[in-house]
Amino acid sequence: MSKAPAIEVEGLWQVFGEKASDILKEVRSADTRSIATALQDKGLIPAVRDANFEVHSGELFVIMGLSGSGKSTLIRCISRLVEPTSGAVRIDGEDILQASNSRLIELRRRKLGMVFQHFGLFPHMSVADNVAFPLKMQGAGKTERRARALDVIKLVGLEGRESAYPRELSGGQRQRVGIARSLAVNPDIWFLDEPFSALDPLIRRQLQDEFLNIQATLKKSIVFITHDIAEALKLADRIAIMRDGEVVQIGTPTQIVLNPVDDYVREFARDIPKGRHMTISEVMEPVGDNPLAGDWPELRTGMSLEDALTQCAATFEAVPVMDGDGKVVGQVRPESFVKALGSEAT
Amino acid sequence: MSLTKGAWAALITVLVGALCLFLEPHVDWLGKWPAGWTLPVNDWISQGLGAALGILKPVARFFAWLLAFPMDGLTWLLSQSPWPLTIASVTALGWRLGGWKMALLGAVGFGFVLISGYWLQSMRTLALVFVSVPLALLMGLAIGILAYEVPRVKSGVNVVLDVMQTVPTFAYLTPLLFLFGFGPVVGLVASAIYAAPPMARNTLLGLERVEHDIREAAIMSGGTRRQQLFLVEIPAAANQIMIGVNQSLMAALSMVIIAAVIGGFDDIGWEVLLTMRKAWFGQAFLAGLVIVVFAIVIDRMSATLATQRKAFDLRISGAIVGIGAILSFIVNPDSTSYAMMGGVAASVDTAVGTFTANNGAALDSFKNGAMFYGLLPLRIGLDQAVLPFTWGFMWQPQYSLWLFGVAIALGAVLAIKGRVAQGIVLIIAVGILETGIADLPWPFVLIGVGALGWMGGGWKLARLITILLGTILLAGLWERALLSLYLSGASVFACAVVGGLLGLWAALSKTAWAIIRPMCDVLQTIPLFVFLIPVLMFFQIGEFSAFLAICMYAVVPMIRYTRHGLISTPPDMVEAAVSSGATRWQMLREVRAPYAAPSILLGLNQTILYAFAMLVIAALIGTTGLGQSIYLALGQADIGMGISAGAAMAILAFIADRLVQGFAEDRRKALGL
Ligand SMILES: Nc1ncnc2c1ncn2[C@@H]1O[C@H](COP(=O)(O)OP(=O)(O)O)[C@@H](O)[C@H]1O
Ligand SMILES: [Mg+2]
Repeated sequence: MSKAPAIEVEGLWQVFGEKASDILKEVRSADTRSIATALQDKGLIPAVRDANFEVHSGELFVIMGLSGSGKSTLIRCISRLVEPTSGAVRIDGEDILQASNSRLIELRRRKLGMVFQHFGLFPHMSVADNVAFPLKMQGAGKTERRARALDVIKLVGLEGRESAYPRELSGGQRQRVGIARSLAVNPDIWFLDEPFSALDPLIRRQLQDEFLNIQATLKKSIVFITHDIAEALKLADRIAIMRDGEVVQIGTPTQIVLNPVDDYVREFARDIPKGRHMTISEVMEPVGDNPLAGDWPELRTGMSLEDALTQCAATFEAVPVMDGDGKVVGQVRPESFVKALGSEAT
Repeated sequence: MSLTKGAWAALITVLVGALCLFLEPHVDWLGKWPAGWTLPVNDWISQGLGAALGILKPVARFFAWLLAFPMDGLTWLLSQSPWPLTIASVTALGWRLGGWKMALLGAVGFGFVLISGYWLQSMRTLALVFVSVPLALLMGLAIGILAYEVPRVKSGVNVVLDVMQTVPTFAYLTPLLFLFGFGPVVGLVASAIYAAPPMARNTLLGLERVEHDIREAAIMSGGTRRQQLFLVEIPAAANQIMIGVNQSLMAALSMVIIAAVIGGFDDIGWEVLLTMRKAWFGQAFLAGLVIVVFAIVIDRMSATLATQRKAFDLRISGAIVGIGAILSFIVNPDSTSYAMMGGVAASVDTAVGTFTANNGAALDSFKNGAMFYGLLPLRIGLDQAVLPFTWGFMWQPQYSLWLFGVAIALGAVLAIKGRVAQGIVLIIAVGILETGIADLPWPFVLIGVGALGWMGGGWKLARLITILLGTILLAGLWERALLSLYLSGASVFACAVVGGLLGLWAALSKTAWAIIRPMCDVLQTIPLFVFLIPVLMFFQIGEFSAFLAICMYAVVPMIRYTRHGLISTPPDMVEAAVSSGATRWQMLREVRAPYAAPSILLGLNQTILYAFAMLVIAALIGTTGLGQSIYLALGQADIGMGISAGAAMAILAFIADRLVQGFAEDRRKALGL
């Protein structure tokens, strides 16, 4: 049984400027770089350049990059808030670039939810009305709207503030409303464009944790945008890294930290305490011929380097690593720790 | 030696000026544009537009007939409704909008109208305003939404709105008079048309300022375009739109009062005009005060729409109306029996009479001083203004030579010090003063303004404004245009100096601002017309009175923008200057003033536009130039003259606007704003 991925992006270009689509067709050449340069020479802005990836059902897919790298444009292409210049975007197998206007409205009413960096709350509506707005667009009745709105408001921890207006809320509370509104219609696909970037670090961390909790129960297919590598590593199942409109690397947090494809990605990963993001399995090696014997600390494959290190701080020899069932699957030597962690400093 | 752009512009201008000066005695057409070279633009407009309007006439008459119903109905309602009920309704509305403060304002304001004895006239004015404003609001909203929804028409709409707001008020009236026929409907339509642009502008601005995220949130919620617009974007822009409502109301009131010059409707504007013509200044003053009170009540109440979010208890409003209704049965319904201000009017008359009698000499010498040493030389030049009768001696040709000699010497000194542009500008200024604005040779003006345009906005602007000025020349309106230019120029200059100083003072001292601010507020609320009353009281009809009236009205933006520019220096910059040990004055000169320059330039721009607007109104009390032509055209129902003079006026305003905006933009760019 093969189910279509939740989102499939193929050869997606977004070029801003006059006659972008014609010019893009003209300059078609083999590699992305030279096309982009040619476009720029003509005064166009290639904001997204030949993006290709898919997001699986239930996956939390993070897009990360510096500001101006085209993240927002990319997510807006997927939700068709801007018209992509060329390429294909399929949602559950349906090419939404071909979708009619009414189909698009239908999709947005039923299937898609979006959270914005600056919240995008309607200033003239109360919290409850804001949250119920997408339901109103669906044509749901008043009582139904109210009930459902209260449910999601509770989910984001804003009970009791239903009748407040956005201007009366703190930044963190506002984004909770934004999240509640985007969840009101129970969408399958959830877009979040830097939802926590405008918040203070403490509030940000709190909301990240709650977001993970919500996702653990709801299991949406998510595209989450951030410029903060720590946030990306904390939340993501997989991360796509963007630079100048190009997706330069896609991988799990560990892959990004361990095997950055180029200096740009390496630069991001530099300040990350690697010990926390690398697991033992990453540095272990097969057990040698002579079986390890002795009274070893219990190392498991899924352990982070940091934890493992505290466990075997006093050892000078190779330590066996066990999988979840307690079977020995490899060993680590102290030098491997040092090597793995030390590369951070260089 | 490499010259700056400014120096080049000044150099070219001064060379053309010098050439004109030498050739003028020999070449007639340099000084005066020959009549044979003008195009009969007036006739063309009269015939062309006359024909077009003739076709529209039946439609317009039908429209007028239709509009007469709500207008007559509302006039009847307001004049028949017992005054306690009306005052109570206004008070109740005030309460609802802004609590007890607004309620009090409504009660006191309309109470004053009652005792002024102008109740009935005021109600007629109010009826006109309240019929025209909904029309204006609907038109404005529709235009604003259209411009927002259809980006292709936006720039076109903006140009039309610009034109509608720069065309002087009187100029609207002539064609409308032709279309709609004599009567109050003209005022009604004129004020609806005049009041629509602010609504349209604010609607567009508000919609454009709706946050991107809010707009996208509406899309992602699955709204149709119409749902997005009406459920999200327009409500989110409500504050800005309400500012539009406020401005629209004020514009409508102003225009309704101005339209009284057509006559035929016994409203408060007519009362002012009538009493002013009869030189009953006490009565004119009183009627003017009624207008001011109206303006303040309407302005402050509608302003709460944009700022206040709280709606006050409707039950109290109901109770107030109830009390008014009960009172209506008890008190004398005849509003005229409450006129108590007749004595006040009389005593104002006597007071002014006594004052002018006692201080006549001082007033006269003030007026003559300003005329002889300021306005006249500026208008006709020192060479003609200096007479035994004015300055005590006769200007001789060799004085001109001396003057130019000194100017050139000083200019040369400046140039040697490296300030070439300033040196040349000094020579130009002296030249203008010697010749007089009204006598400037046209090639010099065209080239000079073109050079300014080149400095402020490049070749494109230079070409545009030179062509526009050229059309005035071709239309045979040149002399009148120069006269208008002279009077508005003199007023703007005075406003810039006085307003700049007041703005500076207000920026330095909180107390000063506490005094100046309410005065600015009131001056900005008063309909243009009313400014004529006080100057007439003291200085009679004439150019000087017009000059004063223009200054009083046009000085306000200069004060406001100067102060605002000076106090809004970013705190970091101030702190950086303080920590470098700057004194208060050093801070002002080195940090605040340069940073304030763009803002001050915008203030100057507003002042210029205000001056042009008032210039036309001031034609009522005796000015020459385009304003007078527009006013005369209205009297003679001469569409060609009315439109062409109105257009010329609008062109002058447009040129001034673009030039100053260009320079302001330059400054902003230089500051990296
Ligand atoms: N509507 C637009 N018109 C022109 N250029 C745009 C538009 N939107 C975005 N851009 C440009 O595209 C690039 C990517 O912007 P964006 O997607 O907002 O980046 P990010 O979200 O990563 O900060 C930027 O250079 C930006 O200036
Ligand atoms: Mg972004």
